Order: sequence, then structure tokens, then C-alpha cells
Amino acid sequence: METATRKHPPYLLIWLYLALLTAAELALAFELPISQNMKLLLLMILAVWKAALVAMFFMHLKFERWNLRILAIVPLPLAAIFILAAMTEKIW
Amino acid sequence: MTHAAVNAMGPPSPTARGVDAYDMKLGMWVFLGSEVMFFTALIGTYVILRFGAPGEWARPGIVLSIPITAFNTFLLICSSVSMVKAYAAIADGNPKLLNVWMLVTIICGAMFVGIQVYEYQHLIHRGLLPSGVREGSELAELVANGTLPEATMGLYGSSFYTMTGFHGFHVTCGVISMLYLYVTKALRGKYTPQDYRGVEVVGLYWHFVDLVWIILFTIVYLV
Amino acid sequence: MLASLFVPEGASRAGWTEYAPLSASFEYSGSNVGQMLWSVSIIVLGLSSILGSTNYITTVINNRAPGMTWFRMPLSVWSLFITAILGLLAIPVLAGAAIMLLFDQLLHTNFFNVAAGGQPLLWQHLFWFFGHPEVYILILPAMGMVSDMIANGSRKPVFGYHSMVFAIIGIGFLGWIVWGHHMFMSGMNPTLGTSFMVSTMVIAVPSAIKTFNWMGTMWRGNIRFHVPMLNAVAFVAMFVIGGLSGIFMAATPVDMHIHDTYFIVAHLHYVLFGGSLFALFGAITYWYPKMFGRMMSERWGKIHFWLTFVFYNLVFFPMHNLGMGGSMRRIYDPTMYDFLKPMQPLNTFISICAFILFAVQAIFALKFIISLFRGPKAPLNPWEDNGLEWTLPNPAPHGNWERTPSVYRGPYEFSSPLVEEDYLPQTRKLPTDPEPAQHVPAASH
Repeated sequence: METATRKHPPYLLIWLYLALLTAAELALAFELPISQNMKLLLLMILAVWKAALVAMFFMHLKFERWNLRILAIVPLPLAAIFILAAMTEKIW
Repeated sequence: MTHAAVNAMGPPSPTARGVDAYDMKLGMWVFLGSEVMFFTALIGTYVILRFGAPGEWARPGIVLSIPITAFNTFLLICSSVSMVKAYAAIADGNPKLLNVWMLVTIICGAMFVGIQVYEYQHLIHRGLLPSGVREGSELAELVANGTLPEATMGLYGSSFYTMTGFHGFHVTCGVISMLYLYVTKALRGKYTPQDYRGVEVVGLYWHFVDLVWIILFTIVYLV
Repeated sequence: MLASLFVPEGASRAGWTEYAPLSASFEYSGSNVGQMLWSVSIIVLGLSSILGSTNYITTVINNRAPGMTWFRMPLSVWSLFITAILGLLAIPVLAGAAIMLLFDQLLHTNFFNVAAGGQPLLWQHLFWFFGHPEVYILILPAMGMVSDMIANGSRKPVFGYHSMVFAIIGIGFLGWIVWGHHMFMSGMNPTLGTSFMVSTMVIAVPSAIKTFNWMGTMWRGNIRFHVPMLNAVAFVAMFVIGGLSGIFMAATPVDMHIHDTYFIVAHLHYVLFGGSLFALFGAITYWYPKMFGRMMSERWGKIHFWLTFVFYNLVFFPMHNLGMGGSMRRIYDPTMYDFLKPMQPLNTFISICAFILFAVQAIFALKFIISLFRGPKAPLNPWEDNGLEWTLPNPAPHGNWERTPSVYRGPYEFSSPLVEEDYLPQTRKLPTDPEPAQHVPAASH
């Protein structure tokens, strides 16, 4: 088997990245004087970024075949559709 | 019913067929799809209720303790790293290192749950219940003096405990599964560089649980 | 759920849809433990369905025999595959909703409690987000099996096999964005409602494609009217009627008048009974020999079919009239309303036919049990079909095949010019057939 010579992504570097992003989130949430909506948007971007890092590198999605990536992503549009649709109940 | 475990591990080959994932790995990804939808129901409900709430939502940091949960978040991320290091260890042919990293993951995971239980106890003591704020409690006073909004605390308690509780339940299941694999397989040297599927598959589950927490921590504690 | 019948105050009282706040609050429903047991049983049953779906999906993607490409799979397998995906992604949402309902009941959380800012409509959204894929879960396997039975009964390939596959996928895909059509009268956002009206009308298209293809399959076929074929053809006709009434409801302005009337009851029974149940009768008869090694009685099968068909239509077709006349669902005594009194004879007629219909099912049940012991022993391939399962002994042993079979062609090669018989099994190798690529299967456990 050729597994022994496989190259791994830089896990510790990703970990550092995640720690920094978490610190950024905390700073954003409590220190920075910006509007609530801006805060929400930026925090969501940071959270999704961290989640993507975990999915791509720790769960190795980046190195899997494209159809496994699609399989993994399929539930997300459904989730978005549901949440957005139900949210419209309060805007009419 | 024996098949050669050829190319069961490692990156997909250019002539790969289908999704090129062995059954257990494909099965775990499929199952995680259902878990995404489960957390969609819970987290989506939180988003929907908060978006349509009849009043202000409590500002972050007043009810929930940010320092403890920030540390907990860091702990869970560390456990994700140790999990993937365990995976890398056995992939590179080092079962002893696998055992070390797996134990680290289990301990970090258990600590996460422990800290959450402590957080829950503290919150209940302060007066946050699934039904809202308990009368005569510390939080009730904050409601009375206007620091916390009265109209939405019922929703606050409901959504907080349900979301974090089920996440904690999933973490607990992960810890128990890992402990089981650790004791029955890893410690007995049953994982080899040719076949470490259990490690990879439980790792996928563990990373997913971490991923959900990353989202949860942001939208429950920080927003 | 059965246990909930025996607790104090009895079982859940909020209908299968369990709308909040009736279901969430004891003061409204009068049923305490019974309601909670409902929630718990949904969660447990849901988990088992999710795990079953995981199994089906993984098996279909990874463990097909060599030569069994995606487009050589029988439509029954395709439909089960898409159904599994629907279940996998829809049932967890129901589970989440049931958990929140349980917590509202047990822990006095406020998800659906308006006084504390909760949203009862949220329950409806959650429930129907599951509920609509659920009805496709109920019909798609039936459609797939009907395709197999009709092709077999017509001794012809399924007309438009590829479009049948894409129609199944299309129904599965569109089924996610129509759930609001169960909520037109709920007071939901009207703009959102309009979007659901449009998507619901669109979803009629793939089903129509399938209907035309079933007819195309039968057209000029060498038809064998065996019991499965009778049931399968009845499926097509009855499902069309149910689908047509569905168009009425898809239009929101019309639905405002017929929602929660017997028109809806007629629709759902035409697609569920006229659809799924006839398909089920046919499918049980069809695969019974493979499961149990004996044939079900052809004569009694026909008697059961015709009696069921006649009385089923007598029961459910008049419900269209009842609904149009204003008869609502779930009321104890319609005669308390003056405007419903003239329709009471129709109600009585329906009830009598319903009792007879129920009694007729004893034929099927008895036939099922008696044939286990006294049915004629079945040959390996009693219907002269092409699928892999017919190469197995009756009943199939554990693990099915000792040696993995190879597949050389699609599943519907009936009346093929290549051979003398009017069927050509998928696993039969002709001299001109190339061997399929023996891919190295990934390790399976």
C-alpha cells in the first residue's frame, strides 16, 4: 500500500488559523464598536470560514472526489431554504 | 464475503469509481447529512424565533459566560486537531502515536462535556430554565431592572438548552464511541496502516460535532 | 404509540399532524402522557428510518454488481434510492420538531407558545417540511415497482427509461420546495404561499411524464393480465385521478374553499390507496414467490383485486362531491349542520361500502397466510422477469449470492430480437456480451 508515504495537510497550521479566527470572533463580538447587523454578518462569515476549514482539511473533503463533496454539501441548500422561508412569516 | 482492502485508504486514484469511499466512510458521510438536517431543525428554529421575536433579545455575555465557553470552544477545536493527528499517525504507520492522540481526544471531549454540565448547573442556579427565567433568581432581578428583556427570555432558555443540550448529547455519544474503539481496537493494536477505517470514520463524526459547535458558539454566545 | 392507548387520558388527540398549540399544551388537548409518548415514538421510529436510509444509500452507491451501472438499475431500485435520500434528509427535521414539541409538553419550553414569543406556525413549517417529502416517500417506491410490473406484464421495455429516472429525481428534488401547500389556510405569508403554488403546479410535470411513459410501455405490448399487472394498471389510473384533484388544491384561491374538506380526503386516498396500496398489493403478489417459495392464488388475487377496485372507488370517489358540498374533515356529526344534511345519505352509502371494502381485504390477508402453506410451489422465475433477484433460489439465502453476479444489460429487455424467449435476464451472458469491468470493491466492513 502506498499509504505510508501520503502527504498530510499542515494540521497544526490549520489549528493556529482556527485559534486566530476564534480570537477574532471574540474581539468582534465584544470589543469593536460596529453596528449589530455588521457584527452579525462578519461573525457569520468567520464562523462559516472556520467550519469550512474543519470540513476541508480535518474531514479531508478537499482531497476526496468531487462527487463526495457534492454529497456532503447537498443538505445545506435545503437548510437554507427552510430557514429563509419560515423567516418570511414575520416580514409581512 | 471477503474483499481485498485495496486502496481502501489514501487519496482517490485517477481511475476511481463512484465516490471512491469505502462503505463505512460513505455511510458516515450519508449519516452526517441527516445530522445536518437535524441541527437545521434546532438551529433554524432558534434563528426563526429570534428573528421574529416580539422584543429585544438578551445581549451577549450577560446570561452566558463567555470566558468559560470560549475556553470550551478552544478545547473542542484542540480535540479535533488531536483526532486528525491520531488519524495521521496510523496512516503513517505509528499505532502507538495513534493511541496517544486518541486518548488526548477522548479526554478533551470528556472535559468539554464536563465543563458544559458545570455551565448548565451554574446557569440553573442563576435562574435560566428551559421555560425561561425562574422567579426570585439572580436573572429575574436582571429582568426586573431592565438589563434583560422580559418578552424573549422564555425563548432564550428554550432554544439555548435544546440546541446546546443536543449538541452535548452528540459529543457524549462521540466520546463513548471513541472510548469503545480505543479500548477494544486501538489499545489491542487492531488498527494498521492498511486498515484504520474505524479511526477515520469516528474522526469524521468528531469533526462534524466540532463543526456544529463552531456555528453554535457563534450564533448562540456571540451574536 | 400503542402504549399510549392505555395511559390515563389516553392517546394523542391532535391528529397525525399534531398542530401546536393543541399538541403542546395539556390544557388544550387533555392528553398528557399520551401526547408525550407520541413525540417519543416519532423520535425513535425516525431514527430507525434514518439508519435504514443510510444503509440503502450506501449500498446503492457502493455495492452494485459488476456491470450494474446507474442506468441499468431497475426503476424499483432507483425509486427506493431516491426515497431513501428523501427520508434521510426529511425525517431528522421531524425528529427535531418532535423533540421541541416534547420539550414544550414536558419542560414547558416555549417554542410554540405565543404568550412567550413562540410561533405555532413554526410547528407547521417544520412538520410539513418533513410532511411533503414524506408523501413522496410513500409514492415513489410504488411508482418504481409499478414500472417493473408493467414492463413485465407488457413484455416490453419501459418506455423512456431515462426520462423515468429523471422524473423520479425531479420529483425527489422538487418535493422539497412545495411544503407550504399544506398551509395555504394557516395565515402564512401570502407571498410565500404564492411561491408554493407555483412550485406545486410544476411538480405535476414529472409525474405526468411517468404516466405517459407507463402508457407508452403498455402500448402494443403483449399484455399478460396477471394479478400484479392488474394492480399496477389500476395504480396508474387511480394515481392520475388523485393527481388531477391535486391540481385543484395547488391553486391557492381554490384551496381556500376545499382545504380541510372531504375533497382533500378524496385526493389523498386516491393517491395513497388508489396509488400506493394497489401498487403494494401488486408488489406483494409479484415478489411473494421469491420471498416464500410459493405462488399466491391467481384466482383469489383477481377476485380480491376487482372487489377492492370497485368498492374502493365507491367509497372514495363520492368524497369529491362531499367535499365540494362543504363537508369538513374531522367532525363527529355532520348532521348538526343544516347545509350538510342533504348529503348525509351519501355519507351513509360511503360508510356501507367502506365496511364491505374492509371485509374484502380479508381475502388478501387470508390468501397471504394460506398460500404460505398451500400455495403452488413457485419456479425460480415465475413471471419470466429480467431482474437479478429472479436468479436466486426461493426464498433467497442469507447473503443472496455466493458468487457476485455480473450484469450485461438493462433490466427491461423484453421481446428482444437477440433471443427466442420474450425476456432476457440481466445476468444472462450472450456470446456478444463483453465482461463488465471487475472493479475492486472497497472493503465492506
